[in-house]
Amino acid sequence: MSGTGTDARPESHPDAGDEGETFTGTGLERIEDRRILTGEAQYIHDITPEDCLHMALLRTTHAHARIESIDTSAAENHPDCELVLTSEDLQAEYHPMPCGLKGFEEWSLAVDTVRFVGEPVAAVVATDRYVAEDIIDEIDVAYETLDPVVDPLDALEDETIIHDDIGTNVPDGEEFVFGAVDEAFSEADTVIEREYSWGRISGVPLETAGVVAEYDPDADSFHIDCNIQLHTLVDDTVYETLGYPPERVVLDVPADVGGSFGTKIAIHRYCSLAAMASQQLDGRPVKFVEDRVENLQGGDMHSTQREYSVRLACDDDGTIRGLDVQFVDDFGAWPRYPVNQTLKPLSVLTDSYDIQDVRYRYDLVMTNKTSQTAYRGFGVPPHLYAIEMIVDEAARELGIDPVSFRQQNLIEPDAMPYEIPSHNIYDSGDYPAALNHLRDHVEATERVDGGLLDPETIEAQRADGRYRGVSYTLHIEPGVSGSDWTDRQRSDREALATRDRDAVNELPEHLRAEITEDGTVRAFLAADSSGQGHQTLVTQLLADELEILPSDIEVEYLDSGAAPTVYGSAASRMAVMLSGATQGLGERMQSNLCQLAAEEWDLDLDTVSYRDGAVERIDTNERLALSDLVAIDVANRSEGERLTRARYDYDHPATTREAFDTALTAKYPVYPTAAFAVNAPIVEVDTKTGEVDILKFYTLRDCGTQLNPVIVEGQAHGGIAQGIGAALMEEFGYDESGQPQAVTFFDYLLPSIKNVPNIEMQHSETPSPFTATGAKGTGEGGMIDAPASIASSINQALEPLDVVADRIPMTPNRLRRRIREAEATNDQ
Amino acid sequence: MSIETSESDSERPVREISLTVNGETVSAEVEPRLKLSDFLRNYRDLRSVRVGCEHGVCGACTVSMDDAVVKSCLVYAVQADGSDLLTVEGLADDGELGPVQQAFHEEHALQCGFCTSGFVMATRSLLKETDHPTDEAIQAGLADNICRCTGYQNIYDAVHRAAEYTQEDED
Repeated sequence: MSGTGTDARPESHPDAGDEGETFTGTGLERIEDRRILTGEAQYIHDITPEDCLHMALLRTTHAHARIESIDTSAAENHPDCELVLTSEDLQAEYHPMPCGLKGFEEWSLAVDTVRFVGEPVAAVVATDRYVAEDIIDEIDVAYETLDPVVDPLDALEDETIIHDDIGTNVPDGEEFVFGAVDEAFSEADTVIEREYSWGRISGVPLETAGVVAEYDPDADSFHIDCNIQLHTLVDDTVYETLGYPPERVVLDVPADVGGSFGTKIAIHRYCSLAAMASQQLDGRPVKFVEDRVENLQGGDMHSTQREYSVRLACDDDGTIRGLDVQFVDDFGAWPRYPVNQTLKPLSVLTDSYDIQDVRYRYDLVMTNKTSQTAYRGFGVPPHLYAIEMIVDEAARELGIDPVSFRQQNLIEPDAMPYEIPSHNIYDSGDYPAALNHLRDHVEATERVDGGLLDPETIEAQRADGRYRGVSYTLHIEPGVSGSDWTDRQRSDREALATRDRDAVNELPEHLRAEITEDGTVRAFLAADSSGQGHQTLVTQLLADELEILPSDIEVEYLDSGAAPTVYGSAASRMAVMLSGATQGLGERMQSNLCQLAAEEWDLDLDTVSYRDGAVERIDTNERLALSDLVAIDVANRSEGERLTRARYDYDHPATTREAFDTALTAKYPVYPTAAFAVNAPIVEVDTKTGEVDILKFYTLRDCGTQLNPVIVEGQAHGGIAQGIGAALMEEFGYDESGQPQAVTFFDYLLPSIKNVPNIEMQHSETPSPFTATGAKGTGEGGMIDAPASIASSINQALEPLDVVADRIPMTPNRLRRRIREAEATNDQ
Repeated sequence: MSIETSESDSERPVREISLTVNGETVSAEVEPRLKLSDFLRNYRDLRSVRVGCEHGVCGACTVSMDDAVVKSCLVYAVQADGSDLLTVEGLADDGELGPVQQAFHEEHALQCGFCTSGFVMATRSLLKETDHPTDEAIQAGLADNICRCTGYQNIYDAVHRAAEYTQEDED
């Protein structure tokens, strides 16, 4: 390991004149901040064109019901009503929304049947949102209620089917067997088998979904401002719904988006409805902004809910022989776009452990709940949680110290790059050293007189019913998604066995730039952003590449029409892909500029060189600055041939590596970077109340090369805060009739400053050998690893009581119940 | 189906209000049910006032009303009649960031920024009550605001730094 440190603080622009000064790797202050801090930022909520109308949605209060009739006459007669839409209107002119699995036909407004509380049934457009909501109340819908299916395990029985045309509540499932699993389990000394639950949680960004759609009747095209995530990748969900070609449906995402964390990739329903409404109103702009109750109950923003059954085969000496993971994933009413979160865990199948024989099986079930979307980690956090829980219990059952047990089974550094059984490859890292380093640090700091783990304090607290503990766990954060695996569930799986490498599509990341007349540089991103600081990142990297000042660079965003289809901001991808793209773009621009200067001076290309923001003649040191070069370019070349404009596509790091061929051709998830983190949250459980207090959260994180340590650290802090909420507080509960129990922030509890403890963060840097800059990506960390580590620390604290954190979130009442049950058992 | 209407058909009750916003006196006719947050955003184009939950939990719409912090989504515009309001737009001095804004910038206490104006307003209020708040005082002062991106460690640091800057300004 190298370069551990604990303090990352933003730096003002370093002095330009300093020889060899670079901006990459420094905590350059963010470009985005000033406009946000002064109220000048423009989020989607702030966009309201002149003449804009406002849409509101009528949402059903039933979990499962047949729509007998809809009477919109009173609504239409309201003096402020401009438009009422029901599914009948949609079916006449438009198309269903694309679904994650074949065979499903989901319309933007419910057709015939409603399948979750909050599902939109009608849309109203009026002069403002207040009156649009008044008019909603005038619509009369008659329902015949049906039995709901709420529990995913009940849904497996198929007694009540929620999609008659599909004929089952389990439309997808698959079993993967790697190695000799049955042999491993039959030959092992011990098999540990347990069940775990992961509750329905999600990203819940502070900004709700929003859209402003405008139809242009003359051009027969749409311009849709919205805060959708991955606007160039998932634009098909909007243009296919409208029934238009992509070039006539432009999605434009503002530079400022108030958080997404994956969730906003599935807001196409709103985009489509607002666009249809605008078209029906001859091009009047139509705005829709989701309110918080809508967001929490029917905003299509919930994420992973799983029931796990896990087995671990071990020998008495502590060797893990095999792993068997099965789970049922409750997808809610519709299999939405990000259906592949059931498969992404294959990319970190064995987490940081060396296990060769593994079975992975899932059933994807439909229930009468809000549909799922992606959330930070995309299905990986529950997987890592289930693995760490069973590893804890194996250590306990074998009577081996949990750290020693983990150490014995970690992937060794000399095995890197390491191919896991499911064919993804971990790029680099020394896991045993990282685990030892943090363990030694925490033990030396805290298990001493006056420390949080002072044995005397632990004993005294325990006498008072408060149990303290810490666990040391190491987790992999798979980074940089490609794209070609994400339609595996819609592919002919037999055909995948013989698929050719040439048939594999991978999406590069696009970046373009132009030099303006005054010599400053404008760069354009093809991906959207939601707080990750992409403008800052590209600015600092491009400043280094072109040897100019960050203040001479402006970074803007392209809409889905101007940008090529890229994958975009997801899956801890942008630091790697944007840094690769910026490096490539910088080199291309330098070479263009040298050519331009050589032509101007009538010299050979090798007699000029680029240095300090200008091209220089090697013989005379005469220089042409960027502004000079633009003038020459404009004078001599046509628009399409300018050399002061360049574009570059950085290929996905797996594209040219044969080692990934097996995974790529068979559509197994490929994540070519393995960032990792060691966590050690010190927890105290009050056995009288079941409350968990995280006294301090130690973490050592490695995301390869840190391009901007301040941004890296901010991402990690935010991720851990979300992980704490997931582990202990947040959940979208439902009652037996399918009524959502968390529809306000009084019920869906987000961590506040009182819930997030002091975090001591260390960093190491193990550059990735697979990426241009050595970066590994860091966008999902914290949320990926904190829940598992917190649950593991709770297990350690409550070991004397024989209580296991077998459910996420481990809310006080749940934990109190476990403790009470354990006390009853122990008393017998 | 589109419906032919004329906008003047509607008869919605209105009341006249007059108040000071960022030092400027403004009058308007508003519906009694109009939220102050919507008034500031839609009638005054004050974009720093962010609407995150509309039920008083997230704190993104926090503004100062007669020197007390309020969640503007829980106040009707008519209730603000005659009051003196301050939003983030009123904090920057000739384009220079105010001390709290500067501290949030320097400590990287924001990412997506949607919660930031609320935190800035709450911090400003806290520093008016307490020169150098302890971590416990910061917890109490900012417990009504939610950040979803950055966590809270950098926010503690930003408040401490803002306290220094505010003191320097006054010295």
